Amino acid sequence: MQTGAPALEAKNITRLYKSSGRGVSGVSFDVRPGEVFGLMGPNGSGKSTLLRVLSTAIEPDGGAFQVCGADGIREKRKARARMGLMVDRPTHYGDLTGWANAYLFARSYGVEEGKAESVLAELFDYFGLAEYRDDRVKTYSYGMGKKLALIEAMAHGPDLLILDEPSLGLDYTSQLAYQRKIRELAASGVAVLLASNQVDEVEAMCDRVAFLHRGKLTALGTPEEFVSSLEGTRRIVATLRNPVEYGDLEGVPGVERVVPEGRNLVVQCEERAGMVADVVAGIVRAGGDITDLAVRRPSLEDVYVKLTGEALKDEV
Amino acid sequence: MRFDPPDAYWKKDVVLFFGKRFALLIKMLYPVALIVPVAASDIPAQYAAAVVGIVAIMAGTFGAGESLTADLNDGILMRFSLTPLSPRRIVFELLAVNAVLDFIQLLPALLLVYVLHPAPLVWVLAATFAVFVTLVTANCIGIFIANFTSSPADVLLYATAILAPLIYLSGFFRNQDPTGLRALLRDFVPFAYMNDALQAVFGLAARSAPFEVFLYPGIIATLLTVGVCLTAPRLLSPRL
Repeated sequence: MQTGAPALEAKNITRLYKSSGRGVSGVSFDVRPGEVFGLMGPNGSGKSTLLRVLSTAIEPDGGAFQVCGADGIREKRKARARMGLMVDRPTHYGDLTGWANAYLFARSYGVEEGKAESVLAELFDYFGLAEYRDDRVKTYSYGMGKKLALIEAMAHGPDLLILDEPSLGLDYTSQLAYQRKIRELAASGVAVLLASNQVDEVEAMCDRVAFLHRGKLTALGTPEEFVSSLEGTRRIVATLRNPVEYGDLEGVPGVERVVPEGRNLVVQCEERAGMVADVVAGIVRAGGDITDLAVRRPSLEDVYVKLTGEALKDEV
Repeated sequence: MRFDPPDAYWKKDVVLFFGKRFALLIKMLYPVALIVPVAASDIPAQYAAAVVGIVAIMAGTFGAGESLTADLNDGILMRFSLTPLSPRRIVFELLAVNAVLDFIQLLPALLLVYVLHPAPLVWVLAATFAVFVTLVTANCIGIFIANFTSSPADVLLYATAILAPLIYLSGFFRNQDPTGLRALLRDFVPFAYMNDALQAVFGLAARSAPFEVFLYPGIIATLLTVGVCLTAPRLLSPRL
């Protein structure tokens, strides 16, 4: 459901660190109510800086942004009241219980006592933390801490959710629960800005995606648009028993790019008859011992590789 | 009034303060262990008063500065500052609750001093108030230092550098009969009034009148509180 004026509107956001000259430059986009908007980019692309600016933690050098009509620079507290925030490394008061942490945050966002109790009870139950609500947070696992941070971000019913790598560290069941909750919230009109390098997650959840590279927004569109722009290409993932020198593989006709990902060799190539056989032959010639092979449709990661010439996972 | 779960920043500190029983026991006992033997001994009254004053100053300065830098390093305070609460309110709550909790720590020792050295009520009240104002001032110094460092160890270093001249001016050990510029500067240090009041409790003639002990350090601590709260946006912003 996407209606009305943008919940988040960023115009020409620029923030460069004096020490390194890096940051973000001239970034503009909007997130509409009910939209899940993905933000992708490798480490150092400026994602964290952009999120710091949009969460009102730091001021931009230039540009402006509005959160539900509130100026993010001059009306910080109004903007903060409308947003729910989950940072990538959530921290809590370790000597307080999970419940006490979440309650403190909910009340600090102005949620009434009774409502805070009922909303938190529902969210603790939903995310499977009800059993641990009275345990001190310092006894929580990393994943439990992430779930608590999600609860804190959602409890006050924000109009805009800003989530930085929310699913990293969550177990599979919790990931599904979190994705379902995000879809529910979006269906009820909440705008979601999701910064993630989990390609599957972004592809499955986001209505639109923006790619950041070296501080600039390099592309913006729907996942379908991006992936269909790669029509005619295929992604061959070969799992190898041993690492190989793959330089010659890039010389195989039709091969556009070769990227190592752990024990996998990811080959982006044309879709044509005999292409897979040529790639396999090239790997074998390079001395590779293939233990598994998959031919997949292109993903957002391939899009990113095409756009920037860099692989996300190569830098993680 | 309900404290747990906390619904305000200051209540969180109260819950944490009373939440760890062993730590609480140590916190409550160490001022008694430092102050009472001195108060019960026959050392010169001005030095007994100085010991009480030094304990109050150290408890206030190091307490706020160290816990604040720990929370800043942890990122939790910055996350908290991204709620709609005013940063100045957060810092004010932090200052006020730390000063009150420090005062609670010192109160048993102070009461034992009053039992060992019965003094006119006005001086007992003045000394108690002056100790509280000293704690507010010391916490202001600790919070001010946290603006410039994210290391608890640096807090100790910077605090020592700031406190040493203030302690000198206050006349705890030296500068007990200041004249000229030193006398003028002494009047602007809240610790000096506490020292005067405590000396009166220990039976010495005080340099200040009781109303001065209530008035001047109160004004100075209020101004310092306002000043420290004005640093809140900087204090609570990310250190990049």
